[in-house]
Amino acid sequence: MQEERFPGHKLLPYLLILPSALVIIIFLVIPFAQTIFESFFQATPFGTHKVFVGIANYIQLFEDMDYLHSVIITLIFSAFVIFVGLTISILIAMLANQKIKGIGFYQIALIWTYALSPAVAGTIWAMMFAPATGIMPYIISKLTNGYALNWMTNSSAALFIVSAAATWKMLGYNIVFFIAGLQNIPQELLESASVDGAGPWSSFFRIKFPMLSPTVTFLLFVNMLYAFFQVFGLIDIMTKGGPGNGTQILVYKLYQDGFVNLKTGFASAQSLVIFVAIAILALFQLRIATKRAVYER
Amino acid sequence: MKKSALVFLVLFLAAAFVFAGGTQEKKTGKVKITGPVTIKFWHAMGGSRIDLIQGIVNDFMQANPNIKVKVQYTGTYNDTLNKVKAASKAGNAPQIFQSYDIATLGLAHSGIITPIGDLTKWDPIKWDDFFTPVRNYYTISGKHYSLPFNSSTPLLYYNKTFFKQAGLDPTKPPATFNSVIELSRKLKASSLKLKAPITWNLHSWYFEQFHCLMNAPFVNENNGRGGKLPNKALFNLEPGQKILSWWSGMEKDGLFLDVGPGWANHRAAFGSGDVAMVMSSTSDVNQLTGLLNKKGWEMGTGYMPKPEGATGGVAIGGGSLWITNNHPDQELLAALKLVKFISSDGPQMKWHKGTGYFPVRKTAMNKLKAEGWFKEHPNFLTAFNQLLASPSNNNTAGALMGPFPEARKFIQDAIQKTYAGTPVKQALDEAAAKTDKAMKEWNEFYK
Repeated sequence: MQEERFPGHKLLPYLLILPSALVIIIFLVIPFAQTIFESFFQATPFGTHKVFVGIANYIQLFEDMDYLHSVIITLIFSAFVIFVGLTISILIAMLANQKIKGIGFYQIALIWTYALSPAVAGTIWAMMFAPATGIMPYIISKLTNGYALNWMTNSSAALFIVSAAATWKMLGYNIVFFIAGLQNIPQELLESASVDGAGPWSSFFRIKFPMLSPTVTFLLFVNMLYAFFQVFGLIDIMTKGGPGNGTQILVYKLYQDGFVNLKTGFASAQSLVIFVAIAILALFQLRIATKRAVYER
Repeated sequence: MKKSALVFLVLFLAAAFVFAGGTQEKKTGKVKITGPVTIKFWHAMGGSRIDLIQGIVNDFMQANPNIKVKVQYTGTYNDTLNKVKAASKAGNAPQIFQSYDIATLGLAHSGIITPIGDLTKWDPIKWDDFFTPVRNYYTISGKHYSLPFNSSTPLLYYNKTFFKQAGLDPTKPPATFNSVIELSRKLKASSLKLKAPITWNLHSWYFEQFHCLMNAPFVNENNGRGGKLPNKALFNLEPGQKILSWWSGMEKDGLFLDVGPGWANHRAAFGSGDVAMVMSSTSDVNQLTGLLNKKGWEMGTGYMPKPEGATGGVAIGGGSLWITNNHPDQELLAALKLVKFISSDGPQMKWHKGTGYFPVRKTAMNKLKAEGWFKEHPNFLTAFNQLLASPSNNNTAGALMGPFPEARKFIQDAIQKTYAGTPVKQALDEAAAKTDKAMKEWNEFYK
């Protein structure tokens, strides 16, 4: 028999979790169930009537060349955001973790990108690279003696610029966590290593990086979610998925089909596919992470 | 026991009487606003236009103290449509909402709207008074579906000062495809420091309008305006190829600069003097004049250039006001009265002066003429004359199809693909095939 935590108030614990349970049920569970349900139907644009179509939406999805193209774009985009982003962040965090005058100022200056809304960040980058009036095409044309960069007609350039903007926007967040992680590394470890003759490289790869691995695992996951879902605003402001689908990542394609073309069923199926893909990746990551990560000192 | 049965019978008869009365009222077509009625009006006009619309609605409420209107700006056209969709599922759709031109066929079949033509028996609207192209766009098989509100067409804007500096005649903007190329070459060769001679934003709208100018259908079934739903795209045929070859060829030669989608970049490029000509909406007259004035340059306007020998004209674009269904008659009548008021001369003149959109009525136009408005603002006159010079038929009325927003995306992708080297015909065939598929799927529901 388990001991009663709240003797005489059997319902109290349930009452206490009710508010959060309700929020989760109303805003997460029910919409999720609805998405699964909708993905087996095709509905009129304004939802006045719908027809059960079984898995036709899913079949259509994997026959759609545009969708497969979006999958590839998403993989390139998220790989860039995750790996380039984390590498740069860890380097900057190392620099920002030194004992120098005014370090507080530098640290705040480095993390402010996270405080920007995607719309603001997108507008800044879009204006910087605007084909006719932007400063970057101007600088590039001066440096290269006349090369006119137009990312509105060059899909590789567009994908690169959007990836760079997304990475830049996330830098602040990553740096905060890396600085915190670096500050948690006990000084004695580093000191004894340097007494044993470890240089900066080996002290990074043998001590700092392994000690940071829980942070890295966490950030890998957060950055993956970011690259898959939260960059929507950035893409919408900067390229609208163009040129010629060149930056149409999965979540933007979903938006196009669901909210512009008003195909609820087709968009629901896409949303479920992304969900399953992310769930698998997350489980995989957790598996590896719990095996490899060093959580104890 | 007997007594209660009697009471019941009386109540039943009374109820039957009331209901019968209700239906009778509808049949005779007489509805009167008896008590205070509240209606909602959602629109997609941001910025200073929010206050302008609120001002027009306030005038309406003053004239109709029985009707209260809650006006709400609900984001872009697309956002507004999605909000209307959600609200109508939940049973509290706004009585009036604004939508863009290309959703017309979709909304006509949506099952959530009341065609305005079905309501005008209560309070007739004098349709003859509307400009024909404006009126035609929102009429399908002779029935009026929505009320034209903010109407615009593309217009060519050019920098007269730059034309003079390049030794060109500043009173002669290019009128044809070939003359655009010819003048662009001269501008490019001149001492002006241009990024490119001409630009417009990446939008399928221009591609559609060039079809209207060539008097060519965009889709089958009388450009979607016959009795049947269109199921075949025609924009990959000769006219479409001619348009895109010209467009994409100018891009390759560095005569045209594609500044991407959206409505900011091309205006900025024109305002900063990076281009000498721009195509944009007629509703940009005020803004572009202001941008050039700031630099001390003079602006001119011209008709949208046509391919040599083309005989068509521009189609109207922009938005219209829709009335939803499933509301009590009194609310529908109130909604009808509001849209009628908005389309009347006073509000239309106010709207035109504040935004640059066309007034939709001939009488409003005549009053503006009498006021001398066009003498002060000759560029607005170019826009008008272009519209009035447009012949009236199904091709120049503009295409209708169910999945038009989707088709636009396919077309814009095709245009961008030609920049990267895909042959024009191949890119258009691909877009047409995708559009055919989308139309087929869409039509399935409405057989």
